Amino acid sequence: MAKVCFKNGRISAIVTTVGDRKVNIDDEKDRFGLDEKSLKRLKKTIGLESRYVVSEGICTSDLCFQSAKSIFKNKNLDKNEIEALIFVTQSPDFRAPSTAIIMQDRLGLSKDTLAYDINLGCSGFIYGLFTAYSFIASGLKKVLLLVGDVASSYTGKFDKTLTPLLGDAGSAILLENVEGLKSYFVLHSDGSGYQHLIIPGGACRKPYSRLHGNKGEISENGIAADETSMYMNGGEIFNFSIKVVPELFSELFELSGADEHNIDYFVLHQPNKYILKNIQKRLGLNEDTIPSRTASVFGNQNSASIPGTINGFLYDEFSNSRLRNVFAGFGIGLSWGACYLETDSIYAPRVEKLNKDVLDRSI
Amino acid sequence: MNKAEFLDMIREVMDREEELKEEMLLEDVEEYDSLAALSLMAMFDEYGIDVSPKTFEELKTVRDLVDLAMRGIINEG
Repeated sequence: MAKVCFKNGRISAIVTTVGDRKVNIDDEKDRFGLDEKSLKRLKKTIGLESRYVVSEGICTSDLCFQSAKSIFKNKNLDKNEIEALIFVTQSPDFRAPSTAIIMQDRLGLSKDTLAYDINLGCSGFIYGLFTAYSFIASGLKKVLLLVGDVASSYTGKFDKTLTPLLGDAGSAILLENVEGLKSYFVLHSDGSGYQHLIIPGGACRKPYSRLHGNKGEISENGIAADETSMYMNGGEIFNFSIKVVPELFSELFELSGADEHNIDYFVLHQPNKYILKNIQKRLGLNEDTIPSRTASVFGNQNSASIPGTINGFLYDEFSNSRLRNVFAGFGIGLSWGACYLETDSIYAPRVEKLNKDVLDRSI
Repeated sequence: MNKAEFLDMIREVMDREEELKEEMLLEDVEEYDSLAALSLMAMFDEYGIDVSPKTFEELKTVRDLVDLAMRGIINEG
């Protein structure tokens, strides 16, 4: 079991950019074939309201670009001090090469920067953060972490089981080498559940060339029939989530010695309000400490959901206070992880929508 | 709780007004969809009854739900 304590490193900025188009579930009910009664129930139980998605052609890297640019502008940063760039996504610009490498050039970082992608979703922020802290532990000065997904690029247009849940977002996080600030991580993987949340087609097992052109088609139960779209077995993923998170927290508290009653915020991955409320109840947490509105307003933002929650709902608190935080991500893989760390008045502005004018190569 | 209370509770979870009878087939219960199944799975789990999503898919009748509940929710007789 991967359990790690880092002695150095500090998060000094978290910025999130969401898609430029807001869509309301009420306007999408015909597309997903939902009648009034099911719509009402989905809104009440799952908390479906709206989500932010990108216009056609916009990639995760574009959302992250705007977020990173905001950090550079506001942190008065010497870009040459950034020695590593990590990009966590399931929607890269290309199958190859790693988008992180393209971003090194696009963001004007030095050619001495190490850069590569990590393919993870819901647990991705925790893993990306872990990687960034590891780099700091190996002596690097500053690490830029980019996380997020344009899920609208890989979910079936008419798939009512998954598409209405997901929103597009890209975050940038800056980590600096500061001594004497501890952080704790607990990380897990279970590949036996890989088939429960998956984009089966388009890579080596089922290459595009072998797939037929059934884009947009829907199977009997309303799931995307097209195998280059994402598929989710909701029951298995729900069951997994409500089981692993409580266990993850007890491991984290045992490792860090932190007292769960002294945590200011439990910022969890935000699949939907229903799962979060369930976890909150199970753990007996005060609902003010565990935000759960992100998916209802922005959609499930995959690896950007934790920064997306901070920039979406807790920007004042993170900008102005010293906080003890637990972050936890869980999902596709199956993969899950949590960390305990403190932040102190970081640069964490309110979430912004994508501004397409920002997308030139200069910075 | 007894059986009648359990049936009331699952009706509430699935948001159903009409009565539920044990012999009813779940596929004939309009409100029993994937979301209702998730909610019931969560409810069983809260009572310490561990049910896998696969087991849940195999349930046929309301009576099957009652049988599951005998493992710790329904105490009678």
